[in-house]
Amino acid sequence: MTNRGWPDGDDPVAEELRKALDDAQQRLPDDVSLRRGWAAFDSRPAGRRGARLSWFAGGMASTAALALACAAWLWPRIGHTPGPEQMRTVAQTQTAAPGTQRLTLEGGVEAELQHTSVMRIEESGARVEGGAVKFKVPHRRQGHPFVVHADRYHVVVIGTRFGVAVGENRRVDVDVDEGVVEVWHKEVLLARLQPGQRWNSTPGADSAAATQDQDQGKKTGDATDRATEKLPLPSTVPADKPVTSSPLPETSLTFDKTELRRRHASRKEARAEARLAMVTTPATAPAPKPVPESPSAAKAALAAGDAPRALEIYRSLAQKPGPGGENAAYEIGRILNDRGQSSAAVTAWRRYRNDYPNGILRVEADVSIIEALARAGETDDALTEATDFLRRRPDSERRGEIARVAGDLYRTRGDCRHAIGAYQVAMSTSRARDVVEAATFNRAGCMVKIGDSGGVDALRGYLRSYPEGRFKRQATDLVEQAAAKR
Amino acid sequence: MNTPGVLRSIPSGKGGGPDLDILAGCRHGDRGAWRTLYDRYAPIVHRFLATFGVPPEERDDACQEVFVAVYRSLRHFRGDARLSTWIYRIAARHASRAARRRRVRTLLGNLLLREPPPPPAPDASEKSERLRMLDELVAKLSPKKKLVLVLFEIEGLPIEEVAKIAECPENTAWSRLHYARAELMAMARKRTKAVAGKGKGSS
Repeated sequence: MTNRGWPDGDDPVAEELRKALDDAQQRLPDDVSLRRGWAAFDSRPAGRRGARLSWFAGGMASTAALALACAAWLWPRIGHTPGPEQMRTVAQTQTAAPGTQRLTLEGGVEAELQHTSVMRIEESGARVEGGAVKFKVPHRRQGHPFVVHADRYHVVVIGTRFGVAVGENRRVDVDVDEGVVEVWHKEVLLARLQPGQRWNSTPGADSAAATQDQDQGKKTGDATDRATEKLPLPSTVPADKPVTSSPLPETSLTFDKTELRRRHASRKEARAEARLAMVTTPATAPAPKPVPESPSAAKAALAAGDAPRALEIYRSLAQKPGPGGENAAYEIGRILNDRGQSSAAVTAWRRYRNDYPNGILRVEADVSIIEALARAGETDDALTEATDFLRRRPDSERRGEIARVAGDLYRTRGDCRHAIGAYQVAMSTSRARDVVEAATFNRAGCMVKIGDSGGVDALRGYLRSYPEGRFKRQATDLVEQAAAKR
Repeated sequence: MNTPGVLRSIPSGKGGGPDLDILAGCRHGDRGAWRTLYDRYAPIVHRFLATFGVPPEERDDACQEVFVAVYRSLRHFRGDARLSTWIYRIAARHASRAARRRRVRTLLGNLLLREPPPPPAPDASEKSERLRMLDELVAKLSPKKKLVLVLFEIEGLPIEEVAKIAECPENTAWSRLHYARAELMAMARKRTKAVAGKGKGSS
């Protein structure tokens, strides 16, 4: 019972309404929304001129967009040309018995349906319901894989040529011609296939697969090892021959001999990829378990002090497209940084930058990289990043902050002339009091150091502007020292 | 038109002192102060927009627009009202504007014989059936009644602040609230009856 004054009465409608109003009071946005909101707000262009320009640019852009929209709306109706939207509405495709059928799906994915195959096109990719389908997937950016569903399994593709077949007894076969694909069941990675490798689900293992995820995870962890670490083992069954029985109840893998030789030659690369797989997939953890994929679960793990678990969840989330994936990709770096792994954090943020070059957290990632590098003492790298940031983002709100960091880095290197320039940028662009104060004092200090005649005046100016400032004592000392020298 | 009472100085309440510090910091361009302001008011603005009927897919953008408006107008904020009152007023204006834009879009869509986009899947926070019911009912109220009801019953603001935000005399705010409550209750009863009728029909 709530202490709400209205609606009063004991009837069920009033009670329901009271509860609904209480629920509405508790309704809060998720952290991802808030974080993205702040990132967007924080990277707003500074000043009224920017606003006016953006109004003008917005007006021009909306006029152009309106014209384009009209054209896009009219065009398909004039020529009766099937557009991408119509392509997307193809719900199911079936081939005639004698021939094959080729389709081009969204993102340039080519699908070739073999005899009597049935494929359903879904939003997330495609579902092979029967028969065999060959796919050719152009390379896709990380976090946006193409997914082919077959029975209860899904094949995750970054960019490759491969085939998926669903046979009798719901047996699923996957064979790879080029690139790398991963076969998943729910949250568990069953196999990572290289060119020439083939995977199949054994008939009759369905109920075990559906009910024993934990055990399957352990088994499939082994399967993954077989697909990556143990590649050079002398398995001799080529991909085009029938699949041999495997000691594993769930999966079987076969290797092409020539392919194996080639892979043996590039064993280092294979190991590197295996390591990458360990970083990016939850299934390679010692005891794979289903990962609850939600930012709140990651946050709870973090609050409980279980940073590895939070990382695991965020890595899983980062594989998904959309704002959640983007946020997770950034958070990985933040957690690593908080754990003192600044180098790994910088790598993670750089990966975020590559995957989301225009992402909403891009500025945040840039600033985090600069700060992490500066803290780690990587002065040269930090300075390169900082100067690049200042050059590329003349309107950023964070410009002053980064200019101050650049000034500090130059000063650390003993390059007072460049430091003075950077501090001047910080003073003229930042509206944050602490940034301007630090830049004012350090600029004056650098001027004194190089024997600039205006240095002492600049220090006095600092003391006038900030009579109770953070650097009051140092500034006073420097002024007194300069007076004593004279 | 405002009554003279509306212009009287209202104590800042629980967020008063810190709000003044935040305001001073924001006016000096202190990023930390802006962050504090955002962290304090963004969830409130989000909730207000949600209850006011801004759909989930537009909510993030609308919230951001509200804060950009706060950023641009902060130097005009005289401090006569509480900061929260002022932010609510901006949010209410933006929510009304967003509703107008939606109506125009729907109208244009009908004129161009376009199929409306499918409704987005409800997010986790919207799954509650009760909340959905409340949103449906509140959406049927007139904008003026909706504003007063949301601010008083959900945001929990005192009526003098509600009146300030709605830019009407306090008595008018009370009157709107009375009618909004009555309408909401009537609609809830009607809906319950209809659901019960359907249940009987299907059994």
